[in-house]
Order: sequence, then structure tokens, then C-alpha cells
Amino acid sequence: MTKRLAGNVPKALSAPVSQGYSIDARKLTTRLLNASIKSGVSKGRHITILNPDARHNLAVGIVKRCSLSFAGSVGYYCCAFCDGISATIEGNSGWGLGDNLMSGSIVIRQDAGASVGASMRGGQILVWGNAGARAGISMKGGTLVIAGNSGFLTGFMMQRGRIIVMGGVGDAAGDSMYEGIVYVGGEIGSLGVDAKTESATRSEEVELRAFLKALKFRDDILPRRFKKIVSAKRLYQYDSLEPLERERLVI
Amino acid sequence: MIVSDEVSRREGWTNEVFQDLQVKAELGRYRIRGFSTFQRIAHFDDIIFIPRYISGKGVELRPADVSTETVLGTRYAKNAISISTPVYITGMSYGALSRSAKTALAKGAAKVGTATCTGDGGMLTEERKYSTTMIYQVNASRYGVTPQDMISGDAVEVVVGQGAKPATGGLLMGQKVSAIIAKKRELPPGIDQRSPTRHPDWLGPDDLGIFIEMLREVTDWRVPVQVKIPACRVKDDVKLAAKAGADGIVIDGMQAGTGASSEVVLDHSGIPTLPGIVLAREALEELGLLKKVYLVASGGIRNGIDAAKAIALGADAVAIGQAAIIALNCNRELPGITDFVREVGVPAGYCTKCHTGKCPVGITTQDPRLEKRLAIDEAAVRVASLLSSMTLEMKLITCALGKRNVHDLTVDDLSALNVEASMMAKVPMVGSGGTLLKSAGKGK
Repeated sequence: MTKRLAGNVPKALSAPVSQGYSIDARKLTTRLLNASIKSGVSKGRHITILNPDARHNLAVGIVKRCSLSFAGSVGYYCCAFCDGISATIEGNSGWGLGDNLMSGSIVIRQDAGASVGASMRGGQILVWGNAGARAGISMKGGTLVIAGNSGFLTGFMMQRGRIIVMGGVGDAAGDSMYEGIVYVGGEIGSLGVDAKTESATRSEEVELRAFLKALKFRDDILPRRFKKIVSAKRLYQYDSLEPLERERLVI
Repeated sequence: MIVSDEVSRREGWTNEVFQDLQVKAELGRYRIRGFSTFQRIAHFDDIIFIPRYISGKGVELRPADVSTETVLGTRYAKNAISISTPVYITGMSYGALSRSAKTALAKGAAKVGTATCTGDGGMLTEERKYSTTMIYQVNASRYGVTPQDMISGDAVEVVVGQGAKPATGGLLMGQKVSAIIAKKRELPPGIDQRSPTRHPDWLGPDDLGIFIEMLREVTDWRVPVQVKIPACRVKDDVKLAAKAGADGIVIDGMQAGTGASSEVVLDHSGIPTLPGIVLAREALEELGLLKKVYLVASGGIRNGIDAAKAIALGADAVAIGQAAIIALNCNRELPGITDFVREVGVPAGYCTKCHTGKCPVGITTQDPRLEKRLAIDEAAVRVASLLSSMTLEMKLITCALGKRNVHDLTVDDLSALNVEASMMAKVPMVGSGGTLLKSAGKGK
């Protein structure tokens, strides 16, 4: 496994706590906690959630620009269905972190469970540890960066956007993807159906390095070369019209 | 020369089978079409209502005395759905259907105070604008899904699958993936789109429970969350979805329709709507959740009598798809405008070419020239009239049974015309006084 890179997190990614306030999750039900978060962010203040204790469904459905941090690990679907959120998670996450993210930025300092960035349409998710299976599944836009390794079915049925995995990816990478790119710095376990590898072009390498450096990745930990997984596009058409249908459709 | 008697003695080897084999010998793959299963299976026509005379209450009722008001989603949601009739329009995607068709359905449903449902292609602005009650679908593909649209909905539906094509995802053929549809779904234009079968972020019942809670948190526990299940392993699936916290279950039988599917799953997978409803009702009874978790039946419901029978079997509401499409003008020759034989190769009344995108009446197409043939406001009036007709049919049969509320219909009001239907619907065979199978539940 690739080494944890948590010590490398840029400080600027989280707003100073002094500008906001904290909520102790242990004292509230999920329903009240989310109501408090939504009420707090509507006032434009940074909120730190203390003791999230791997609770599921925290900070979901926030469609407003806001700044949050979680002082610990979170459960399933943290920051799901959000638009404009800026969140930092100090610990690990369960499944579906940043599910269907529209825009904004999520940074997780340790590992993300399965389906991180599932169906995300925009924004950016940065995982400083490893990611589980199906990272970036059904992804429709935005950027998912995984500093460590990523599991089985990375980029499954991906439609757009890019996934950058600094370490390796598991089996069936890029299976059935339509468009989008998965960049891999380490080993590829195996390719999925209709996926193929290409070498990243020099200009792509330059752009990738500049992008990662802007995220404060040190030069010495960047992979020497990136492989690129893209769709082979063999599944694009499967001749859906029968000969008679083709003949008769005259319009 | 082959005479018809000889053809009829061929058992399974009909002319249709010959043609099917010849097409596949050329095609090299399974066949795809729209519409529904062509299997002959026990359906609503195989069960009938049995009114009471001297043994009844002797009350003279008129259809106007019968209530069809329907409230769905009182388990957890702050705002339950309240509709004037237990018939609403099921989810059909913008993509499979034209923008004009979706708009006409929304307008038509709103005219009679019932609900519409989005579909596997995101929500249209017009759909939200004109629907008085809009159910927002969350499909496995997540095409066009946004939190803002979901929050604007009056209910959320998690689609596990479709009765027409269980365990396969949606298909949208390249002819229908126009530039606009491709943009909406974030796909390359013109490709044959295949939707995934499983959701990207939950797999089993425990995940589904957390996922449902997430949808509630996104919508602030304001709206009901229903789970649409294709009728297959009905008891297991309904129990797991109810236990996972669904407000309601939609059970979609194998007679359900679709814009495109392989014939293999259309005709050879899933179970019919009749046993689907009965097994779902029994599952909820066994959990003690009947009437706490609402049950919607869909799949081949064609008129008010089908709807009334579904309600008597245990449903709280029904959803229609194909029936509403037919009200829009599906399979109707429009003199001077359409020419079905020339355009799709079959006469009006026989068309199942939804998947080709060349719908002569502008419903299942993304071709602007064809879409113009569907006049939205006139189509909306026909949809509203169909919904009103269905509601009146339900009222008529309800008062004929001496009841004042369509939701008071029960399995005791039904009998079956043949053994097959009797066993599937678990109602007595007419004249026999009993059924070969004993229902696990007591009905309503």
C-alpha cells in the first residue's frame, strides 16, 4: 500500500475555527444535527462537527456555499447531494462520501470507504489515504484525487470527469466507462470490460503535475509516469435496429 | 400451400417463431423492442367482482357518493401525498419520452389532482411547473439527478428495478440520445445508452436503510420515500424495503411497459402483477405494516376496473404508464399526418417501435419534426379524461358493491374465472367456493 500522506495536507484548505463555531454530534440525533448544520451554514459561518463518531448521513443535501469540518471519522453518505460545500474530514469515511456532489470541495485526511464520489457531477474530492471499491462509480463530472490506492471497479460506468489515483487500482478498473479518464500512478490490477490503457501525453503529465502540486503534493511523492484508462468505445453501439426496421424507417 | 389448420397444429412452431429465428439468424444478438410482454398470463380480466343482493346491506348508492381520495405516506413524512384518485402516472423518462409527452402528462394529471413521476432521465422544468404532485425518481443511473430537483419533489422514489425488465438496466438507443438528451444525461450523443442495474452507492438491505435515511435528511423528512420493486422475489424484497424504512412500496408486475428492452427479459423474467400485489400485501401483513406502509400496484393496468381490482387485492393506489401513453395518441393513425405502415412498418395498433425513436405520433421520440405532431394541451385534456374515466369506473364498481369508498374494496369482493387466476390472486374460483391455495394473509 502507498504510504499515508496525511501530514502533507495544506492548512489553507480549512478555514480558521475562530470564524465559526462547533457542534458536538454526541449531544444530538442525526436529524437535529443536520438541521443545526443547515441552519448554521445559512448564516455563512464555518462549523466544526465534534465527535462525529462515524455517524451516517451527516451534512447531506446542503445546496449553499459553506464551510464545514468533521473532527473525526464519518459514516455512509457524508456530504451527499451537496452543491457548493467545502468540507474537511479529519478521519475516515464510510461508503458514498460526496455522493452526487454538484460543486464544491471535500478533503478527507484518511481513508474513504466504497463508492467515494459516486455519481458526482462537479467539484473536487481529495482522499489523502486509500479508497475502497467503486471509487468514482457512475461519475458525471469533477475531479476525484486519491493519494493512496483505490479498490475494485474504480471508475465503473464513469461518464465524465477525471479520477487521479497516485497509487494503484484494483481489478476491473474503468469497467463499462463511457467517457472520462482514470489516471493511475501505480499498478493496475486488471482492466474492466471495454476499458483500455493509454500513455498520458506530455502535456497531460505537465498539467497533472501542476494540478497536484497546487494541492501541495510534494514533487518527490508524485508518480514518475501516469497510465491513463479510457473507454475503448466498443460498447457505444450495438446495432439496435433490425434490418427490417432500418429499411422501413424512412423519416 | 400451408393452410391455417396446419399452422395451428405446429404447437410452439408458429409463423412468428419462424420469423423470429430468421431475424436472429441475420442479427446475431437478442432482439430489442418496446411496449410490454406478449406472454399470455393471468391478469385482471381473469378475476371479477361479485356484488351482493339480498345478502347485502341493500343501500342504493350512486357513483357520486363514492370517495376516491387517497393519502399516501403517513409513516414518517411530514407531508403525505394527497391525491383525488388512487390512479397516478408512473415514472417514464424524458429521453424515452419527448418533452411534449412529459409536459402533457404533467398537465393532464394536474387537471384531475393526481400525481406524476419523473423517470430515469432527470426532471424537466415543465414537469415541476405543471405537476401538482410530483414524485422524484432516484434511479441506479442517476441521470440528471440534482439535490435541488429532489428537494422540489413531493415524494422520492428509489427505483430498484422495473417489472418489464427485472434485473436489467434501462436502454436508450442511440437514435434517441439527441444532443439535448445527451447533455441532460451527461453522455456522448448518439450512443446506445445502457443504464446500470444496481445503484452506485448501496447494494443490500442494510445499505438501503441508510440510503433511505439519507434521502429523508436531504428532504428534511418532509416527503414520503417509496421504493419501486419489480415483482420477482416479492415477499423478501417487500419485507426488506419496508424494514429499511420505506413509506411505501411500488410493486411493478411483469405486464409493465417499457420504451426498450430485450425480449428475453420482457417475456421471460419476473412474475405477473396479480400475484405481485397479493404477495406484497401478505409481506406487509406478516410484518404488521399493512396500511402503515402504503402499496402501489403497477404493471398492465388499463382501466378503472383493473385499478379497482388491484385495490381490492391490497393496493392503496395504482400507477399507469402505457395506458396514459395511449391516451396521448400512441398507436393512433392521424389522418393526413401519420402513415404508420410507411413510417414504422406496421399499422397503427401494432406498433412497438418505441426504441427506434421514430414514434409517428411524437411521444417516444426526440425528433422535433415528429414531436410537433403531439399537441400538448389537447393531449393533456385526453390524459385528464382518461384519468377521470378510470376514476368513474372505479366509483361505479364500488357503489355496485355497496361501498362508499374505493379503499373499502377487499379480496372478499373478488372471484376468479379460472384456476390459474384463482391460485395467483388467491381468491375463490367462481362456483367452487374456495381456492386451491390459502392466502397467508387475511386481506384488508
